Amino acid sequence: MVIRFALAKGRVARKAIELLVALGYIFEDYSEKSRKLIFTDTTGTIEFFLVKSPDVPIYVEKGAADIGIVGKDVLMEHPAQVYEMLNLNIGRCKMCVAGFKDRPIPYGKKLVVGTKYPVIAKKYFHTKSQSVDIIKLNGSVELAPLIGLSDCIVDIVESGNTLKENGLTVLEEICDISSRLIVNQVSLKTKHELIDPIIKEFETQL
Amino acid sequence: MLFNYTIDGFENIQHQDYFSLQKNINKLMSLYRSYGYHQISTPTFETYDLYVHEDSIPSDDLFKLVNHQGKVLVLKPDATLPITRMAAMNHPNFEEIIKYSYQTNIYRNFSSPEMVKKEITQIGIEYFGNNSPECDGEVIALAIQSLLEYGIEDVHIDLGHVGFINYLFDELALSPKAKETLFRYIENKNIGDIAAYLDQLKLPADKKEIILKLPTLYGKPKTVLKEMKKLCINEKMEWVVEQISEIYDHLEVIELSKYVIFDLGFTNQMNYYTDINFKGYISNCGEPVISGGRYNNLSEKFGIPRPACGFAIDLLKVIDYMEQKNLLPQDDQSRNVIFYNCDDKAAAYQFANELRVNDSIAEVFLLKQTWEDHVHSLRKSQLYKNAKLYFLSEGNLYAENNNQFLPLDSIGIESEVD
Repeated sequence: MVIRFALAKGRVARKAIELLVALGYIFEDYSEKSRKLIFTDTTGTIEFFLVKSPDVPIYVEKGAADIGIVGKDVLMEHPAQVYEMLNLNIGRCKMCVAGFKDRPIPYGKKLVVGTKYPVIAKKYFHTKSQSVDIIKLNGSVELAPLIGLSDCIVDIVESGNTLKENGLTVLEEICDISSRLIVNQVSLKTKHELIDPIIKEFETQL
Repeated sequence: MLFNYTIDGFENIQHQDYFSLQKNINKLMSLYRSYGYHQISTPTFETYDLYVHEDSIPSDDLFKLVNHQGKVLVLKPDATLPITRMAAMNHPNFEEIIKYSYQTNIYRNFSSPEMVKKEITQIGIEYFGNNSPECDGEVIALAIQSLLEYGIEDVHIDLGHVGFINYLFDELALSPKAKETLFRYIENKNIGDIAAYLDQLKLPADKKEIILKLPTLYGKPKTVLKEMKKLCINEKMEWVVEQISEIYDHLEVIELSKYVIFDLGFTNQMNYYTDINFKGYISNCGEPVISGGRYNNLSEKFGIPRPACGFAIDLLKVIDYMEQKNLLPQDDQSRNVIFYNCDDKAAAYQFANELRVNDSIAEVFLLKQTWEDHVHSLRKSQLYKNAKLYFLSEGNLYAENNNQFLPLDSIGIESEVD
């Protein structure tokens, strides 16, 4: 039996693979430029593949992967029936409302928000009883307030450099984000003997 | 022209799947019948009022419609509630034992994602009027046997008890919101966030310790039972340990315990379970296929306090799995098609009847083209791929074989039929 990992492409995957290597798993055929889709470790007990981050919870929920490593932002935006077992404390950043420094969020009028995270944004402004128009964007969210598409944005902020370079600043912090280890609900029970030690190993690495 | 007029979440069932579905339903219905369950059925529509106070089903998930009197109706979103009402109405004697089996479609208007099925075919049982561990044992045993009956070996039942967590939380002064948050974290086995959240709460350190252990209470029953015993802080929690170990003992006696694992991380946030609840899994099938448990407070709502326990199987999910594993029953009944000339009509219909009496399928068509053309056009159809073709002409019967037409005499027909 093989334990299959789904990793979110990019920064998080690099750190997750570092973690796996630190645990003693060796992936001979893996390099960042490799075009292979699935990588198996030399003992044949672990397999991983890289997918777009919003797909990670889907693969894990449906059981196509047993374990997934993905940011909390994705799990909040695309809730899935999975066990969210470990906070890996990698890929740490903050979910924020950002806009122009001299123009605080104009509560009391309808707000236009540009974001890659419509669910999170809607929920956040809903708890503040603020009526909003959400514009779902797929990238370069910082552009939206600059050209007058939106009043502010909701996005993850790591260093804040992109914001600064564009004359924007963090107005409100929504929550902390970090990568999580998620597990398929059936796999945890049916592959208990294999998955439990892996989780324990990850835990001790933290 | 009507193109693509289908609705997301609703699907046709193709003839081969429907055949397997019916076979599978019949198999389980006779299994349940052999244990004394009576098959019943409740209406497709229910009143909205029946579900409005039921926390287990969010109002947004209900398909609602208004009838001519202005009454709000819903498409039945679950099987248990109407069956509990039926048992209460038809059997008002509190002490009666009632065993029902059912097969029904339920409807949930899930908002996302779009590909989720909104029409779910369920089969299951409800056992009323028995509060013993043996009753729980019988219900769990039948859940396991249902899948074994289908030839599925890799069955896992994940057994929990909502009382263990509830009786612990009864001792703690927590706001409903804090309780809900903790329950959600426990269900998700989100140990990291529980720890962080507990730091904000004013609770004695030893109680926090116990809460942190709850998500890890799963796995081999004997090990989990030992762990549970250590965490009990009141008699009610001890009672839960006793109950669940009695049920496990019962399953050991009837030799089904190897299919059972424990998970005490279930809460009754989104359901009406009061005691045990369980989920059924198949290895390498990512989602649970069975869900069940004991709901002792539901019948009271219909005026008859009466304990009850039951489960439902998501039949189409099981069939999808069986299809992948080639476990589905195949339609192997022989299929025959008879073509005849006008003069041979009587003989053709008589021959067809003979075949049908002998448990074969027979269809009759009047000859309109050449024999070869009929063979050619029929063989193109998926539905007639394996059919045997016969041609009746001037009182003689011919059987088609690779575009050859072999004459059969009347004795030949007899032997063919046998």
